[in-house]
Amino acid sequence: MTALSAAWQSDFMWSFRRSPLAVISFLVVMALIFGAVFAPLIAPHNPYDPATLNLLNGFTPPMQPSAMTGDVFWLGTDGQGRDMLSTILYGMRVSLFVGFMAVLFALVLGVSLGLLAGYVGGWVEAVIMRIADVQLTFPAILVAMLIFGIAKGFTPVHLRDQMAIWVLILAIGLSDWVQFARVVRGATLVEKNKEYVQAARLIGRRRSSIMLRHILPNVLGPVLVIATISLALAIIAEATLSFLGVGAPPTQPSLGTLIRIGQGFLFSGEWWILLFPGLTLLALALSVNLLGDWLRDALNPRLR
Amino acid sequence: MLAYTIKRLFQAVVVLLVVGLVAFSMFRFIGDPIDNMLGQEATQEDITRLRSQLGLDQPFPVQYVKFLGNALRGDFGVSYRQGRPVAEIIAERAPATLELAAVSGLFAITIGIAMGVFTAIRRKGLAANIIMALSLIGVSLPTFLIGILLIYIFSVELGWLPSFGRGETVKVGDWTTGFLTESGLKALILPAITLGLYQMTLIMRLVRSEMLEVLRQDYIRFARARGLSDRIVHFRHALKNTLVPVITVTGLQLGSIIAFAIITETVFQWPGIGLLFINAIQFVDIPVMAAYLLLISVMFVAINFIVDLLYFAVDPRLRDDAVTAGET
Amino acid sequence: MKRLILGSLLFALAGTAAQAETFRWASVTDPQTMDPHAVSSAPVLGFLNNVYEGLVRRDKDMRIEPSLAVSWEPIGNGEGWRFKLREGVKFHDGADFTAEDVKFSYERASSEESDVSSWFAPVSEVIVVDDYTVDIMTKQPNPIFPDSIANWMIMDSGWAAGNGTERPDKENGNFATLNANGTGAFMLSERQPGLKTVLVPFDGWWGEAEHNVTRAEFTPIQNPATAVAALLSGDVDMINPVPIQDAERLKARDDLKVLQGIEARVIMLGFGHEADALKYTGDAGKPNPFKDPRVREAVAKAINVDAILATIMRGNAEPASQLVSPAMRGYSTANTDRPSYDVEGAKALLAEAGYSDGFSFGLKCPNDRYLNDEAVCQAVVGMLAQIGLTAELDAMPVRNYWPELRADNYDMYLLGWSPGTFDAEHPIRFLVTTPNTEKKLGSWNFGGYSNARVDELLPMIQSEIDDAKRQAMLDEVAGILQDETVYVPLYVQPLVWGTGGNVELTQRPDNFFILRWVNVN
Repeated sequence: MTALSAAWQSDFMWSFRRSPLAVISFLVVMALIFGAVFAPLIAPHNPYDPATLNLLNGFTPPMQPSAMTGDVFWLGTDGQGRDMLSTILYGMRVSLFVGFMAVLFALVLGVSLGLLAGYVGGWVEAVIMRIADVQLTFPAILVAMLIFGIAKGFTPVHLRDQMAIWVLILAIGLSDWVQFARVVRGATLVEKNKEYVQAARLIGRRRSSIMLRHILPNVLGPVLVIATISLALAIIAEATLSFLGVGAPPTQPSLGTLIRIGQGFLFSGEWWILLFPGLTLLALALSVNLLGDWLRDALNPRLR
Repeated sequence: MLAYTIKRLFQAVVVLLVVGLVAFSMFRFIGDPIDNMLGQEATQEDITRLRSQLGLDQPFPVQYVKFLGNALRGDFGVSYRQGRPVAEIIAERAPATLELAAVSGLFAITIGIAMGVFTAIRRKGLAANIIMALSLIGVSLPTFLIGILLIYIFSVELGWLPSFGRGETVKVGDWTTGFLTESGLKALILPAITLGLYQMTLIMRLVRSEMLEVLRQDYIRFARARGLSDRIVHFRHALKNTLVPVITVTGLQLGSIIAFAIITETVFQWPGIGLLFINAIQFVDIPVMAAYLLLISVMFVAINFIVDLLYFAVDPRLRDDAVTAGET
Repeated sequence: MKRLILGSLLFALAGTAAQAETFRWASVTDPQTMDPHAVSSAPVLGFLNNVYEGLVRRDKDMRIEPSLAVSWEPIGNGEGWRFKLREGVKFHDGADFTAEDVKFSYERASSEESDVSSWFAPVSEVIVVDDYTVDIMTKQPNPIFPDSIANWMIMDSGWAAGNGTERPDKENGNFATLNANGTGAFMLSERQPGLKTVLVPFDGWWGEAEHNVTRAEFTPIQNPATAVAALLSGDVDMINPVPIQDAERLKARDDLKVLQGIEARVIMLGFGHEADALKYTGDAGKPNPFKDPRVREAVAKAINVDAILATIMRGNAEPASQLVSPAMRGYSTANTDRPSYDVEGAKALLAEAGYSDGFSFGLKCPNDRYLNDEAVCQAVVGMLAQIGLTAELDAMPVRNYWPELRADNYDMYLLGWSPGTFDAEHPIRFLVTTPNTEKKLGSWNFGGYSNARVDELLPMIQSEIDDAKRQAMLDEVAGILQDETVYVPLYVQPLVWGTGGNVELTQRPDNFFILRWVNVN
């Protein structure tokens, strides 16, 4: 039996195959990620290149020829004459990138600090957990606005557009690490008194090695669950921030920016400018959430 | 216990000071208040004069210490935009936010617990699974979009509920309330749902998983074995035991309800402190921003502090880590 | 407790009964103060025009007409103006209006604490001749002085003294921040900053009421979609502005009306004229191409204003050829042509100037100041790309925008200008004359454009009494600005208001909402 088929036969995969919702969600997420990653190859237009835009194509409805130029766009165009399909694909790229990076950042930061706090204890723990308090004190929205403001003050102007994305990542990541830290610290407190850790300590293993080799693997389950749900949260958070004017720039819009722009057209009849980005975001976040849900149950042996 | 309380109290104060410092330092990056205060015909002299009048030409640490000193005496300064004491403005706006937060909290808790129990008891049922999946839609769309869609459906298309504001309010002492008029109550519905949807989903899922956990415990099995009816088992035994974590999480979520009110209040033009804060950012009204952030911080820190103490009382071994260990 | 609820129920019923005759309107910004001299901004002045009055006022077509003054005439050879005041006028609190109030209001409005003191820069003295005659002396002959004081509102000296508000105080506020006592057709009955402001008709008003409003309630609504929803659902009777994209849909409905007009504000592109080098993008540090008038003209030719107006503005705006709109006094009928859209011509000009390969630069733009400002800038970026110019757009909220422009952090920028005096002299003084802090000239000429002839003409325009000669000089300036493409005027910003189908009102080009012209049927 190969390793692959062994994995397929595992409890984990068995539970996966048994859950149609999980399978569908997984496929949707994969399809969307595929679309985002290969956007430059798939997308009919490049919405980032202003020279290719024709303002006269603006507000063309889906599947209809433009009144001015006769071009046809599957999902219509926005007010700048940008092809919605291409814009959504590129926007998803931005949203997913921000989401993944923010979660990665939060995860690395949160897990390390949580391990450290739980295992070392003492004043290290006190300092870390109080920093966590400060962090919790500022709701994600405020953290993001703060970092955005500060970063804008310090970045050379010609880098600001690229910077916006990194600031979003930093802001969303920073507002999210506490969850990881708290869970990991809690689990570490429990694990470190277990016999196998005591044993490792007795045979003279170093602290760092005990933390990484013994404790970390035991807390990865809940971390994975939090990470999945955080991904959905991060994508939504980015959209929310764009409503407050601190999202991705409209020249390189994320799904959130597209929705923020699109909500201005809710009453004007150009429904496609809001509907398609909205549905895409819903499909993305919902699938990720459903996967996270399933993962939680699957990793919780007591619920089988 | 006393020593621990004092230690935590001390830490809480330090936390607040840091929050204040961070908040205060951000203002200089938000923008320049001067341009919003002077008309288009103002001269450079006017600008310099106003700057020194507001103390904005002083070094940053001086401004911060001054702000702290005044804040300790309950003086948050005068709003740049409205020309009125900030404390007065916040006192005027707070009831709107608190009432909205209370109603959406109530909505989240009652519906959340009811649905949580239902989906736990009928874990394999079709209805429960549909509810579980649907509940995720609420957290898979940004709040502002949900709010606007609700307005579109219930105000514009159906014409059932008002599209913005608080309706008629009644003054009871210093408190303006929307609870006592029909239009006030109607106006609460859409914003409360928008704001509470996320928390509702959270509570529902928490109750469900806690319930499932408890239902597997031995004493529940014994209770069943003793022949107690399902209803008594579910509600008298199981539900009761799930409530402790629910209360904790709800407490912590209270703070974020008020913070997230910023978005809901903007969409519904709800005249609370969240909208006040957004306006303050727009006009770089530093005293209002500072007071708002400090207020929110005090609230969060107080809630954290109380939760910590409760946990200490219950389980000195674990202290604050169990707060979110269960579910997130 | 029972009593309280019963009482409030009655209150609520009474509230709904009164609401039937109430006119409710909404706009984006709340007037931040009720003090007519503390803040010189359109939302404040526009709102307070319903409560306070000036010596003169503007009619439905923006012409000056008598208000608290019944007539006025120049004194001697232009040493000043004599105003005859209206007799029998009462303030809302019952006090009589006399010449003393005019003198007091001059002192208050021209004080250091006032935000409108620049209106009185030409004034040397205000003399009370008798109870109903006032002489306002000017340092130089000032033909447009009566035109420039329509928003100078008269406050009762006794009321101000009695309430300790002899001077405006915008930093700390005072009695006049929340209260008002004018002579206008409406009285302030309730003021909750940021929430709701209620006006009721003033029975003792000197004029004849043209309106049938018994109570008017103003609410700021920030989110444009919410405002449209409020109008659609009948929660308000009027919104200003209607988001441009929604105008057509609202027009199509039977129960709503859309009022359109052109505002006084001209939207334009500005350049760095003084800067020696570009500041942004990969070309930062290279010589500033915008110093060359041919490059500026190429920019003007590259922009398809008609396309911007057709899509982003949905056919609701007019192209602009100069810094003021045709509705303004002193508009130059001799210079109404704007550079035609001509990509090839623009490329040729660039090549001639030595930039056949184009260059890249930074474009600054506000994103919450003018209608669809950011979308317009995006479109400009796209159009400039067609002639090989790569603009990097940096759009920001207006709170960051002015400091950025003032610090010269741009290569090109977007600006809107609405002349406070409704006269073509205004933008010349602020946007074109060589900056001079001492003389308070050119304070918004961020690019530092400087032309000796324009500098020479400005004082002559300011003191010329003869209309024809004055117009000739204004025409000359407009010609110079066009020849050198100092700015690229794009279009005149449209005004779009939405009302319920049963509402009749008049829209004035200064975007002031005048309640005494409202009728609800």
